[in-house]
Order: sequence, then C-alpha cells, then structure tokens
Amino acid sequence: MSDRQIQIFMESLLPLFKAGVAFTIPLALISFVLGMILALFTALARISGWKPLALIARFYVWIIRGTPLIVQLFIIFFGLPKVGIVIDPFPAAVIGFTLSVGAYGSETIRAAILSIPKGQWEACFALGMTRWQALKRAVLPQAARVATPSLASSFISLVKDTSLAATIMVTEMFQTSQQITATYYEPLLLYVEVALIYLLFCSVLSYGQARLERRFDRYHAI
Amino acid sequence: MLQMTHLSKSFGSVQVLRDINLRLEKGKVLVIVGPSGSGKTTLLRCINLLETPTEGEMSVGDLQLHFDQGTKLRKSDILALRKRTGMVFQSYHLFPHRTAVENVMEGLITVQKTDKNQARLQALEMLRKVGLEERAGAYPFQLSGGQQQRVGIARAIAMDPDLLLFDEPTSALDPELVGEVLNAMKALAAEGRTMVVVTHEMKFAEEVADKVIFMDNGLIVEEGTPEQVFRQSTNERTQAFLSRVKGNV
Ligand SMILES: Nc1ncnc2c1ncn2[C@@H]1O[C@H](COP(=O)(O)OP(=O)(O)OP(=O)(O)O)[C@@H](O)[C@H]1O
Ligand SMILES: [Mg+2]
Repeated sequence: MSDRQIQIFMESLLPLFKAGVAFTIPLALISFVLGMILALFTALARISGWKPLALIARFYVWIIRGTPLIVQLFIIFFGLPKVGIVIDPFPAAVIGFTLSVGAYGSETIRAAILSIPKGQWEACFALGMTRWQALKRAVLPQAARVATPSLASSFISLVKDTSLAATIMVTEMFQTSQQITATYYEPLLLYVEVALIYLLFCSVLSYGQARLERRFDRYHAI
Repeated sequence: MLQMTHLSKSFGSVQVLRDINLRLEKGKVLVIVGPSGSGKTTLLRCINLLETPTEGEMSVGDLQLHFDQGTKLRKSDILALRKRTGMVFQSYHLFPHRTAVENVMEGLITVQKTDKNQARLQALEMLRKVGLEERAGAYPFQLSGGQQQRVGIARAIAMDPDLLLFDEPTSALDPELVGEVLNAMKALAAEGRTMVVVTHEMKFAEEVADKVIFMDNGLIVEEGTPEQVFRQSTNERTQAFLSRVKGNV
C-alpha cells in the first residue's frame, strides 16, 4: 500500500465505525428484537387451533420467504409513496428487516416448539395448567434452547444483510464506504476495509453466541 | 371417590374402551392389570381427561361429567377435574430445565398461585417424603431413574389431589431401582391416599391393592380383591396373562 492509501484507510476508519454504530448496529438490533416478537406470535398463530389465524400466518411467511429481501425493501421505500405512504429510509429498512426476521424466525421457533415432547405438555396439563401456562412455563423455555443456535445465526446474517439498506438511502456502513470511494476512487481498499469491519462485528457476535449456548448447557434435555 | 358408568372410548373407528363400569372408595387403592394394548393407559388417561371418553359418565369426588360424541367439555370442568387428580407417568416427564425442587414447586406456583418461598418449603417437604430432600437442587439429568420417578411422585402429591394416578411407574426402571419407587407408593397408600395404579408388579398389587381389575381388549374382564383375581380366578384369559407375568408374583 502506498502512503496515500494508508492515510485514506486510517481516515476512513472513523466514519465507517460511526456509521456502523449509528446505523448498522441499531438497524440490526431493533429489527431483530421486533422481528423476534413477530416471529413468536407468527409461530404461535401457526400452531394455534384457530384456523383463520394460522392461515394468515402462513400467508405472511409464504410472501416473505418467496420474494427477495431487496425487492421488499424497494416496495416499502420506493413503491409505497405511490399510494401515499411515505416512510423515511431508516424506519423503512426496520420494517423490511423486521418482516423478514419475523417470517424466517417463526419457522425456527415453530420447529423448536414442535420438537418438545408431548409428555411435557401432558405433565403440565396433569398439574392443572392451561395450554398457555404450559407453553409459558415448560415448552417455550425448552424451545428457546433448541432455537438459540439457529436464531443467533440469523442475527449474524441480519447484521450483514443490513448492507442492503444502502440501496434505500440509509447511510449505514456500506453506503458510507461507497461515498468515500466516490471521493478517493479506491474501491478495492474501501470495500475490503468495510468487509473487515463487518467481519469484526460478526466475530464478536459468534463469540457471544457460543457463550449463550454454553449458558443453556447447565441442563441437558432428556 | 371415582365412579365410571358405561364409559367407552374410541380412537376414530377403533374402540379401545368398552362399557367400563367401576367404583373406587376414598382411601382405597385400585390396581389395573392386563396385557399390552388392553386399554389400561387409555383408561387412566380418561380419568384426568388427557383423553376424552366418547360416551358414558364419570364422577371424581363431587364433580360429575357426562360424555357423548356431540358435546365438547367445558374448560372449567377439565381444569376442575385435573385439580382433583395427580398423575405419575411411565417415563416421568419431569421438566428438564428445572431442578428437582423446582419441578415440585411448578404446579404450586403456576396453578395454585402459592407464594414462591412458601412453595419451596412445601416442595422440600414433599421431597422429604420420597426421601430426596438432599437432592433438591439436582437437575433431572443428574438423577437416577428411580430418583426421577420419586420426584415425579413428589410433584403429583404436592398439589394434594384427591386421586393419584400411576401409569406403570416402575416399568422404565432398572430392576434394582424399582423397590425405592414402590416403597414411596406404599407409604402413600398407608397415608390413606386414593390411588389408581397400572402395574405389572404383582407383589406390590397383592400387598397394597384393595381392588384389582383385569382388562383385556378394552373390557374389564375380572374385578375383585387381589386374592380373588390372582389366586382364585377361573377365567382363561386372566390365567394366561398371570402365567406370563408370574415372575413378578
Ligand atoms: N392416541 C391414540 N390413537 C389411536 N390409537 C390409540 C391411541 N392411544 C392408544 N391407542 C390404541 O388403544 C389401544 C389401547 O392402548 P393403551 O395404551 O391404553 O394400552 P395399554 O393397556 O396401556 O398397553 P401397554 O401395556 O402396552 O401400555 C391400543 O390398541 C393402542 O394402539
Ligand atoms: Mg400403557
């Protein structure tokens, strides 16, 4: 690397990190938390005995899983204004990512709930619990353990996917790297640099995932 | 305490229980024996409505229920019935994410809304009854099968049910662990608890049962004292079954 390149690299670090802390991380965190709530309700709707609710949930999952995320973001940000719904870039991205996390997460959570043996439900019922109590006290805590590795992986994927928000004018990290590139014309340098920052974020999260899974290991499923 | 009249149960077109009539007085122990597939588990599960009988009447304590194919049971009736009954399962079904004492506290906290500290004291008392007080903090995977089943018993009696149901509580256990569970059950019988026990432990049945029923093919084939059913029966099917499980007599 030339001195000039080293200087550009160093000077870009701060703005990239700032964009990461101000946009990428909040975008991923907010979308993930909201998405998990949506995922839980969608999963519960699908296993509930109430047909119309289950059908709505299936329809939602079908739409989200069957269309590209970037197209969904374009519809929300560029498309909806045509019918009078104008949403700022950041909230538009949050909506898009939340819907995505909710759909994929619901499949994971549903599978985890269904993996808990019927005997656990029956043990609760025999004690006099309602379905809701059995779910809350016995089934969901165990399902959470089953679902954790997969949900943690989707969170890590989400952190990377937030780069798609660059296409709807959210000034997150990738968008910022594009802007700097436009100034200095050093695409290789800057895109590798931003890649390294994503890598750093994701490595920290992988470490957190391993810690979380170890915490769950205090009991064994039997 | 428990009465069934003309009770039957079908799964789809398969009739699993046919015209069951039985009565059990308070404080008595009923043992159900019979070959595999004869409907013992189904009968037991009908008592706490884990299965819904297709037809007939049942009463537990002061609660009376009538079943027919058309009508759905009221949720409040189901819950009321389950409050009167406790169940011990063949494969324990302990909550793996909770310690022994937490397993026993679970029903107290969630169903009876007992205060947590109070529930812990009561749960420890129940564990003491089954000889497991010092294992209170262990998770199920850290306990032997016999210990797990005793936690299962403590969990059921913590709710102080009028009627205790046991579905082959020792058949998943290694032979050397059977005794400790049977002893815990004998102690409960001696306390005067009303119990319905499905088991192939003939010695236990002879010692503890006030009444034995022999089931085959969804029917109660024979009914009487252990002496009558095990020693004096002239019924072919009963004798054939008994000769197969004789090892346990
Ligand atoms: N959920 C179910 N759906 C359909 N058939 C069932 C169901 N549960 C039990 N059965 C059938 O009902 C019959 C009685 O079963 P049950 O489990 O009550 O017998 P059992 O006497 O407890 O046998 P075992 O000694 O093997 O435990 C069997 O033929 C079984 O296949
Ligand atoms: Mg059985």
